Amino acid sequence: MILLESIIDGIRDIKDHFGRTMLQLVGIILGAGSIVATFSLSIAGKAASMEYYRVSGGIQKVFIWNKPTGKVTLDAKALASKGLTFHDVTAIQRNAKDIDLVAPVANDTYSIRYREIEEPRDVMGITPAYSPMNDVHAARGRFITDSDVQTAARVVVFGSERAAEFFSTDNPIGKTVTIDGTGYQVVGVMQEKYFSFDQKRNVLRWMNRQIYIPITTMFTRRGETLDRGKVNMMNARMVDIKHHEDAEAEIQRVLFREHGVRDYEVLSRVANLKRNEQDGRMYDMTFMICGLISLIVGGIVVMNIQLASFNERVREVGTRKAVGASPGQIFGQFLAESVLVSIFGGFLGIFIGKLFTDAITSLTRDPAIITPDTIVKALIFAAGTGLVFGMYPAIRASRLSPIEALRTE
Amino acid sequence: MGAKALIQLENVTKTYDSGENEVHALRGIDVAIREGQFVSIIGPSGSGKSTLMHILGCLDSPSEGKYWLDGEDVATLTARALARIRNQKIGFVFQTFNLLPRATILKNVELPLLYAGLSREDRRERAMKVLERVGLGNRAKHRPNELSGGQRQRVAIARALVNNPSLVLADEPTGNLDQKTGSEIIEMFESLAGEETIVLVTHDPAIAARTERRIKIVDGRVVNADTD
Repeated sequence: MILLESIIDGIRDIKDHFGRTMLQLVGIILGAGSIVATFSLSIAGKAASMEYYRVSGGIQKVFIWNKPTGKVTLDAKALASKGLTFHDVTAIQRNAKDIDLVAPVANDTYSIRYREIEEPRDVMGITPAYSPMNDVHAARGRFITDSDVQTAARVVVFGSERAAEFFSTDNPIGKTVTIDGTGYQVVGVMQEKYFSFDQKRNVLRWMNRQIYIPITTMFTRRGETLDRGKVNMMNARMVDIKHHEDAEAEIQRVLFREHGVRDYEVLSRVANLKRNEQDGRMYDMTFMICGLISLIVGGIVVMNIQLASFNERVREVGTRKAVGASPGQIFGQFLAESVLVSIFGGFLGIFIGKLFTDAITSLTRDPAIITPDTIVKALIFAAGTGLVFGMYPAIRASRLSPIEALRTE
Repeated sequence: MGAKALIQLENVTKTYDSGENEVHALRGIDVAIREGQFVSIIGPSGSGKSTLMHILGCLDSPSEGKYWLDGEDVATLTARALARIRNQKIGFVFQTFNLLPRATILKNVELPLLYAGLSREDRRERAMKVLERVGLGNRAKHRPNELSGGQRQRVAIARALVNNPSLVLADEPTGNLDQKTGSEIIEMFESLAGEETIVLVTHDPAIAARTERRIKIVDGRVVNADTD
């Protein structure tokens, strides 16, 4: 019961000395606010990243590109290598056991014409694997099929924004467009892809602007054989991300065997993720330490002001002891006040933390999520600070000799 | 004397060690006080009367000797145990009133009961009863700064009585009051005497004259104590 009385007294004390209390609390508020902001931003950043990965094909994806070797004079091997070709695709599919899907992409720019609209646009030559690999699907009609690839069919699929550009409100399916002078039949329009970190910019917009034809059709246009058809980049999908190192190694091995020189680059999302996690952890640590330092400073301020207030209240402590308060009861009273004030500061800190995170969010892309977990952490830190730094004044108060105390003016 | 006395000091000595000098505040005091007596302790400043009061009030322990209070030897108790004794057996009235400025009159009077662990209702009931006894029941919700000096001292007396003490100790209770108000306070003590055992410390012979019995103390020794 005395604890409850102390808490009520403490609340009244805060009200009576609001200015002093607020001063006391600056450090704690900043510390708690920092912690809230740190955790929220870091949680949100991770969540946003994971969501982005999910929406664009998952973290099992591996990206494979051509890479210049960086040598000024090319030796025979480098000259002999033709960069990534369709042959690599089949080689990886056959030999890399930890890879279950490979989706090659060949790029070119063609003049696209439908009725009055004629524009040069980028076109992608792909295989059906592109669809599951990148989580893109047809909204109307269908995507490119194996049969299309086998026959190098003259069929084309439009991304949602591209379709609107050329066909506006007409139904594109079944219509014929002219690509680089040749007629292609439109067989599909893709679903719109959308993902935004800041609710403003759609980072997947480029997908809606694609035009897809079978990769073999593109090879034919270029006069390339299937085996030697130049591929600009490839996506590969791991069977199990636990074996990601094996998967990456396998791809490297196959490609090196085919090329003889490292004129390619293999980038796995998982490896990227792990690297980002490490960086992220360092980032988080830095913020956490700032938050903790703030809290420690705040704690010292609390302690000092508790001591000052206790000095003011020496006579009061003397009176309480005279009427029979035990040292333990005095200790409890002062400590409770300290913790209470700190928790109050913690609550305010959470609001400040929300302001921090909102401010930062408006500048960067990452949205912030304040979870109940974070709030609890901030409050515990604040209360803990009050507890630790309130100890010393509370002990001094409890040890005060009543005679000395009452003698004070 | 002996077993019947409420308070018995036997050869009580208090020595302070302040560096090079030893200060002998009390030198072998023997005093007995019976229940219901209204006693004053009178002496000049520096005589040790404050020290004697601190020991009687269990605010301090003697260096040597015994102190029987209500059948218990409290001379060698720990700080915590002394706090318990103060809470249950002693009521203080100070020269400077020593009320908590930010609490109501009622809460001030309840204070000893708070530390005794009584429930909220019990505290309130007993505090109101004793406030009425001193004639301030209608001011229970006021703050000390709204009361006059004399009224504040009456609140202090109420607080001293609320826990049914064995002993009421008043240290220069009229020191901060004017003549007339001071006299009223002494009257209040006079009306309480008999029911309560009251020990009043003063340097003023006029006040001491109004008590039943005077214990004179000079230079740490009792001189000329009236016999009971």
